[in-house]
Amino acid sequence: MAISGLGPHGERASAPERVLLLPEDMARARARGFRVAIVLHTLASDWAKQQLSGVIGMLGDCGVAVIDVVDCAFTPEVQIEALDRLIAEAPDAILSLPVANAKVAAAHARVAAAGIKLVLLDNVPTGLLPGKDYISLVSADNFGLGKIAAECLSPHVPEGSEVGVLGYEADFFATNEREIAFVKWMRINRPDVRLQVRRFPSLADAARATRSLFEDHHDIAGLFVVWDTPSIASAGVLSTLGRRIPMVTVDLGQDAAIALAANNSLVAIAAQQPFRQGETAASVTVSALLGRLTPDWVALPGLAVTAENVVESFQTVWRKPAPREVLQMLSLVSPAPLRNTPSWQEPSGGL
Amino acid sequence: MSTPALAEAASSPRRKGRPRVSETASPSLVQILNLVRSGQATTRQEIERYSELGRAVVADRLGTLCELGLLNESELGAAAGGRAPRLVRFSADRGKILVATLDQTALGVGIADLGGALLMEHHEASELTQPVSSLAERLTTLFRWILERQGNPPLYGISISLPGAVPDGGEAVFLGTTPTVLPGWENFPLVETLVEAFEAPVWLRSSVETMTMGELHAGAGSGHRTILFVKVGKRIGAGLGSDGALFRGAQGAVGLIGSVPVSGPGGGGTLEAMAGSDRIAQEGRSAAERGASPILAEHIRRGGEITALEVAQAAQIGDAAAIEILSQSGRLIGQVVATLANMLNPALIVLSGSIAQTNDILLASAREAIYGACHPLVSRDLQVVRSQMGSSAGLVGAAIVAIEGVFSPAILRDWIMAGRPQAHPLFQRIKDDIARKRLAEESTVRPPDA
Repeated sequence: MAISGLGPHGERASAPERVLLLPEDMARARARGFRVAIVLHTLASDWAKQQLSGVIGMLGDCGVAVIDVVDCAFTPEVQIEALDRLIAEAPDAILSLPVANAKVAAAHARVAAAGIKLVLLDNVPTGLLPGKDYISLVSADNFGLGKIAAECLSPHVPEGSEVGVLGYEADFFATNEREIAFVKWMRINRPDVRLQVRRFPSLADAARATRSLFEDHHDIAGLFVVWDTPSIASAGVLSTLGRRIPMVTVDLGQDAAIALAANNSLVAIAAQQPFRQGETAASVTVSALLGRLTPDWVALPGLAVTAENVVESFQTVWRKPAPREVLQMLSLVSPAPLRNTPSWQEPSGGL
Repeated sequence: MSTPALAEAASSPRRKGRPRVSETASPSLVQILNLVRSGQATTRQEIERYSELGRAVVADRLGTLCELGLLNESELGAAAGGRAPRLVRFSADRGKILVATLDQTALGVGIADLGGALLMEHHEASELTQPVSSLAERLTTLFRWILERQGNPPLYGISISLPGAVPDGGEAVFLGTTPTVLPGWENFPLVETLVEAFEAPVWLRSSVETMTMGELHAGAGSGHRTILFVKVGKRIGAGLGSDGALFRGAQGAVGLIGSVPVSGPGGGGTLEAMAGSDRIAQEGRSAAERGASPILAEHIRRGGEITALEVAQAAQIGDAAAIEILSQSGRLIGQVVATLANMLNPALIVLSGSIAQTNDILLASAREAIYGACHPLVSRDLQVVRSQMGSSAGLVGAAIVAIEGVFSPAILRDWIMAGRPQAHPLFQRIKDDIARKRLAEESTVRPPDA
């Protein structure tokens, strides 16, 4: 699938294949004994866990030691402290998902200034430049994800109706791109639809923002939420309000997959590929450590997931079987009573 | 003096007799603001020294500028024996500049503070061949989105980078009409539309000019006074940063080096035709077809298209034919740039454009040709580097163009007392003219539809 967005500085996307590691690259990396640290926004979501296992697995294949994995709990101060502490450890590279823009920019700039290779995931802090302050950005095609969401919602929305857009208040490259792309697609392809945008400042406020959006606009007939965890909160609010309207979101978390299979409000999901993204980020890191030129932006295409393809898409995205509830709802297993949740089924949540 | 009083003083008609306080204060306010803004002076003592104004005058003007929100004295500096001096800082967040870059296949938008720092940017694919009205509508939509995300800050200007030379119509202050920049844009009032929609002055410059300014102020050129910027793409153009400012020439058509005739293997043509990205792609396809490039041939076999980027990637992983294509392109560009360097003696040459930025081979070959053909005095300390700012250089540079415009002494003195450039009498006149024209158009009786 083609990448439809441009990078944070207008870069054209490079495919993950561009940084494929050959057996001789891995052998060279093993001989060098590199040390790498990973700084993520959270370790609580499935998306983060899958991305992390992709990174760690690929680094392991290349004999690269992961010396630390930091959970920043979405807090800029924690990330700044972690980066400064890791700079003192002098690893060969740091992979980081910046939790904010301007607030964490200086701390990320200090990584490159200390001679440590910095690979960014999903977001670029304000003012940082590829080649100078960081090696590469590895992210999903977030613009493409917003476009997929709009294309999937459109058939469910009647002519001349209102559609709600629940965006993220923080200035974050990934969610900005999704919102812009969704709105752009609707304006071009569904000029009859009136869009009502509301943004939540934090996950805890997603339900409140949904309620206020629907209280102000009673006639909303479709909803786009920029990622799946807040979309579950939105679904809860709509259920309380007794409203059943078609919804689309981004990220195929476990709860979202179950909601999709249940054929309730959630009609489609634009899914990222976190495991593959993690592997790609590790390949970029190793390529850079071996002195190869790396692309400024490596982007992975999104997948359009509906109830029809949720099982195989879940397997593609998470590298594990779809939740049993999903298989039961789609009559792929007998409706026997549920056993205890297996260990591979964990709480849902993207981004 | 309170802000409304300042505004009133600035807007009231001139009287005979003694000059008004606002008239006598303006030059010193302009001088002090620009001393602080440029970083030359950071304390009251330094302002007194550089401006040669008395302590009382400096104190009075600083009070006014702080009241206008353009300067602040909230920070303390390092003490040098006595009491720590209060630092005087330019309030870069007093206003914002909306910026955009339009090129053949992409549209970039952003917002910068008055120091030129980019606070937010977004780029998307966009074909320049679409009607200019659609482009203007998309631009307006994205600008509104950015302003909303930034909490609708006070706007000081809009600056747009365009993929063509912007004629210098000798506009002394602000643009009131849209100059003819690109074919098909003749009858569309882009400047007027933006002035009406956002009530802010508009600047237009070519993409090479804005990227030159971006590199000079925030990229590889930081700290240099004279740089030569060369953008290599489908078109090849150059920009000159001279003595820290953009050199625009007589008509704003500086650096059109793409039309310089050159000769290479198999004939001659313009530099663009012989070394631009179209030529690189064409040579790549031909190498694949005659079996000289296994990597590009394999790419075509798998249904891929050959553009200059594919040739650059093939060269990067060692494809001999692709390496030769890029080396040839770099040599031709280097020869032309060397002539410019011998004439202008820059401290730095920045090569930009997707091919130059992602590929070491073109850069190395251009560098070799430049050093080989330059006078020893010119090449002694000359650096040839690739840009690390990408399209952001255009956005940052566009912001610098507007900031330099708004704060140039000739313009600043006529709005400083009101604290915002919209109060400049000429901008007011332009705005009124545009509104009047719009009203006249709307009231024109149109013939009934057939």
